Amino acid sequence: MRKWMKLAIRNILRNKRRSLVTLLAIGVGFAAISLFHGYVNNMYAGLRFSAIRGEGLGNLTINRAGWQEKGKLEPEKYMFSKAETEKIIKLVTEKKGVVLATPQIQVAGIVSNGTTSTIFIAQGVVPGDDRAIKGAWAAFRPIKGESLQDQKSYGVEVAQDLARYLNLQPGKDGVVMATTLGGQMNAMDIQTAGVYDSGSDATNDKYMRFTFSFAQALVDTKMAERIVVLLENWEKTEEMRGVLLHKINQAGIACEIKTWNELSLFYSKVKGMFDMMFLFIFSIVLVIVVMSTVNTMGMAVMERTREIGTLRALGLKRRGVSLLFAMEGGLLGLFGSLIGVALHISVWAVIRALSPTYTPPGISTPVPLVVDLVPQALFVLMLCLLFLSLFAAIIPARRAAKQNVVDALGHV
Amino acid sequence: MALIEMENIRKDYFLGETVVHALQGVDLRIDKGEFVAIWGPSGSGKTTLLNLIGAIDEPSAGDLAIGGREVRSLSDNQRSELRNDTMGFIFQGFNLIPVFSALENVMLPLQIKGASSREAKTRALTRLEGVGLGEFIHHRPFKMSGGQQQRVAIARALVNDPSVVIADEPTANLDSETARRIIALMRELNDNEETTFIFSTHDQRLLDQVKRLVRLEDGRIVDGGLKP
Repeated sequence: MRKWMKLAIRNILRNKRRSLVTLLAIGVGFAAISLFHGYVNNMYAGLRFSAIRGEGLGNLTINRAGWQEKGKLEPEKYMFSKAETEKIIKLVTEKKGVVLATPQIQVAGIVSNGTTSTIFIAQGVVPGDDRAIKGAWAAFRPIKGESLQDQKSYGVEVAQDLARYLNLQPGKDGVVMATTLGGQMNAMDIQTAGVYDSGSDATNDKYMRFTFSFAQALVDTKMAERIVVLLENWEKTEEMRGVLLHKINQAGIACEIKTWNELSLFYSKVKGMFDMMFLFIFSIVLVIVVMSTVNTMGMAVMERTREIGTLRALGLKRRGVSLLFAMEGGLLGLFGSLIGVALHISVWAVIRALSPTYTPPGISTPVPLVVDLVPQALFVLMLCLLFLSLFAAIIPARRAAKQNVVDALGHV
Repeated sequence: MALIEMENIRKDYFLGETVVHALQGVDLRIDKGEFVAIWGPSGSGKTTLLNLIGAIDEPSAGDLAIGGREVRSLSDNQRSELRNDTMGFIFQGFNLIPVFSALENVMLPLQIKGASSREAKTRALTRLEGVGLGEFIHHRPFKMSGGQQQRVAIARALVNDPSVVIADEPTANLDSETARRIIALMRELNDNEETTFIFSTHDQRLLDQVKRLVRLEDGRIVDGGLKP
């Protein structure tokens, strides 16, 4: 085998310029895929962090069964009573791997500063639990002023654009109005405790955060709309959904559980778009790699027809000829991938050194451009391109092997 | 038992709608240890006959047995094994692998057979020394003269101790002096090792040195087909 490997390597080096062009095509293609993957990998991690921590979705959201379909029309019928809420929280927090389970409620209505009014959407959260969910996100997007406090239930957090429109800066007073579950209009005084950046232009002009008890009072209920669960390990999300669903249903409470990625529309859409872009880039590179390899190997077969005839005359079987050319193709893929790895590491190092930032559409502040170096992904991609080149070489290799020995020997 | 036995061999080529009768009923028997020249004018069928003897081509009709094995009944793989086990080839254009050194070229038939690198190297070195190229083992073909390249080809043809060496116009690309030396070398190997040599030529100067002449004309043996 070493002999054939040596022959394959020397044949690759025989036409240096052509081999270099093929290796560069594979290397640049490799780097394009791996860098994009590194960027997307980092972005997905950021979006996941933003959805779970920043949006406060936690890992799992438990609603009464039917909430997603009819909850908005008949909220009272599809919310959890106080007893049910406590029972679910107890059941869930008993499970190993659960950090916390906290009740929440969403309220929509009108907020006014006394002269101007606009719509708002607010999450009613338990302040301590909300801080636990936010975790490191709080440092990443700090609140201007104070965060929610149980002791001061009328203190609210206001998203930065909404606060600017209504001049509801920390310490300023206002009024919120919303419809109770019974259908009555209710109004309550508020005081801005803090102003925060929701992270998105689309929500910064309408989001607010109330304490859970304040939100309950506004809609006049003691019930909870949902229970948000935070897990130690996000990778256990799916597994935990099944376990908790079974456990709660067994306790006699019909519920449905959504994962963070099902609820974060932004994450799902961005991921869908980038997955499609990745597929597109991968397809283009795949075509380039296959075409380059087929072209290089096709030329090699044509130029070395007499050699093929000689090897066959000396007793090399057809399979041996195929193997020889397939090996050359595979080596082109391997060396090309190694060039790609070198390119990836170089670009990765430059990005780390320069730390560039950019502002994606719909995002309120610049974010750093980061490309992850994922060794496993590089290894898988290397294997992928190696086998792709190997299979691409099989077409010309089979043609070489099928040649008539006499015709091959007489080839000029 | 004859080493090569041909009975009423025909070989036709199709060039579009034209049929070329390259061999028309050839009977030939060659025994072990013979030194045979096949000669005749261009287009007489010399190369076709050698291709058939070398099992790299199939006859259109007739029976061909090599070492008692009917070639027609062999699969492509079995024919490859037959060539590797029992034959050596010397080509007019030397046909050395340009990316390999002289030594690596000579090692090839053994490595195709599956011999270990060490064994192949030892035997290849012996053969290269035998043809007087002991000091050129690491030279690539393009750094060698035509005569040296042909001697490498001879060493390659002999390295697996074949029963028969087939040479198609082995001296055609060589000057007279080198051609004479190559033929002398082949004769020496034939005398010392009883290796059968079958080669084609239309060079009259070489014909004086052979033991047996087979003359072909228009695809037919006109002289020397069957031994007296």
